[in-house]
Amino acid sequence: MAGELDVVTPGRRLGLANEYEAGSGTYVRNGIIYSSILGARTVVAAAAAAGGDAGQEGGGKATLGVSRRNAKFAIPVIGSEVLCRVVRMNPRAASVAIIMVGSTPCQEDFAGTVRVQDIRATEKDLVQMTASFRPGDIIRAEVISLGDQRSYYLATTKNEHGVVFAQSAHGNAMVPISWEEMQDPKTKVVEKRKCAKSF
Amino acid sequence: MATNIIDRRRINGPQRSVEPLYAQSGAAAADPFARGRADERALDQVRPIFIKTGPLAAQPAEHEALSSASAASGTAFYEQGKIRISCAVYGPRQGRRSNARAGSFDCDFRYAPFACSWKRRSHVRGADEKEISLILEHAVAPAIRLEAYPKACIDAFVTVIESDGKAATIAAAINCISAALADAGIEMYDSVAACSMGLAGARWVADCAQPEEDAALCSMLIAYMPGADEITYILQHGKTTPEQTDQAVQTCTDMCARVYAVICRYLQSSLE
Repeated sequence: MAGELDVVTPGRRLGLANEYEAGSGTYVRNGIIYSSILGARTVVAAAAAAGGDAGQEGGGKATLGVSRRNAKFAIPVIGSEVLCRVVRMNPRAASVAIIMVGSTPCQEDFAGTVRVQDIRATEKDLVQMTASFRPGDIIRAEVISLGDQRSYYLATTKNEHGVVFAQSAHGNAMVPISWEEMQDPKTKVVEKRKCAKSF
Repeated sequence: MATNIIDRRRINGPQRSVEPLYAQSGAAAADPFARGRADERALDQVRPIFIKTGPLAAQPAEHEALSSASAASGTAFYEQGKIRISCAVYGPRQGRRSNARAGSFDCDFRYAPFACSWKRRSHVRGADEKEISLILEHAVAPAIRLEAYPKACIDAFVTVIESDGKAATIAAAINCISAALADAGIEMYDSVAACSMGLAGARWVADCAQPEEDAALCSMLIAYMPGADEITYILQHGKTTPEQTDQAVQTCTDMCARVYAVICRYLQSSLE
């Protein structure tokens, strides 16, 4: 019987909101935590949820969540780190296709835009689009706004954001040699990019 | 001589003729269920239900690479008596219309050309299919936590492989979408279960097949979320008294709860 209870369907009551924290895959209505997806019920004790820091808010409450083994999709929200491919560029903005959100690949690409003022944190007025990205580059960026009707607005102002993979004009994968330059290891040609800090 | 010559250019009728049979008038016509139902169901009994989610995922491993590239997020196949429906849910993905506050849910309902046994349907999407698409959207959307999917779009494509009773088919489509959404892992407040009834004489008859629906004076469809105790959609065709409507809503929600239990039991077993 306990085994049956572990798999819950959407709308199943899981517990009281004043006894548990609502985790992912749940929602709260009228002080009751309900499951919102089909999955296995999980209870994470308070100490583990707070990462060993007992001073966190909600300390003392265990977190109720529902997890799925195969999370099939991810959608970008403000603040999430995304991996995208540059599709086309103009002097004011680059259009990109978001291919991964965090560590989850998107089932279908989302459209994003990196405006020229969102590429670097400093000397924004001197940034040139062509010296930052090229079509086909893979860049790591952060979602700063849900943007307009069509696309998400992205920024690469942080050090660890920027071009992570690029090919030279000859088609070879380039390696970063400074913050703003990448070099083709075969032809030794140097091209300008807004490089991401490698970990 | 003359009697031996047969005129082959004309269709020769039979030599003898009989009077045609007319529909019986009287008590039998007033209550078509006086002698029970054709399939010997109780009046408040829904046809047996079969559900299967993720048909593609159940294929052998060689299809896995193929299906994961462009396959739907969730799929379901649903049978209720003779009704057969398949549904594929795509998304959340980027939609044409986008709203920064909440996602949108779109539904595309289609009959297969051979879905109706009495006539062949055109490939072109008819007005009734568009209308049913809207009904399905309105019935299922309240269950989806659309605010969890800003700017995104969730699409459900429903194909009726075989239909048997229009209201019953719409109800089955709602149940099928619910199962497919759960399979896709879309965040929902509750699953929607739906059930239809027909008014025959003075009695409500659950889950009418096509001949029963033709005999019924009025049909009622209710989509219901039993966990949240909320009705998401009521569709009524025909004339009833307020008392009859009241009774229908009561009976229909009870039956929806039973259908819901079947769906939930299947979904639970599908993960175990």
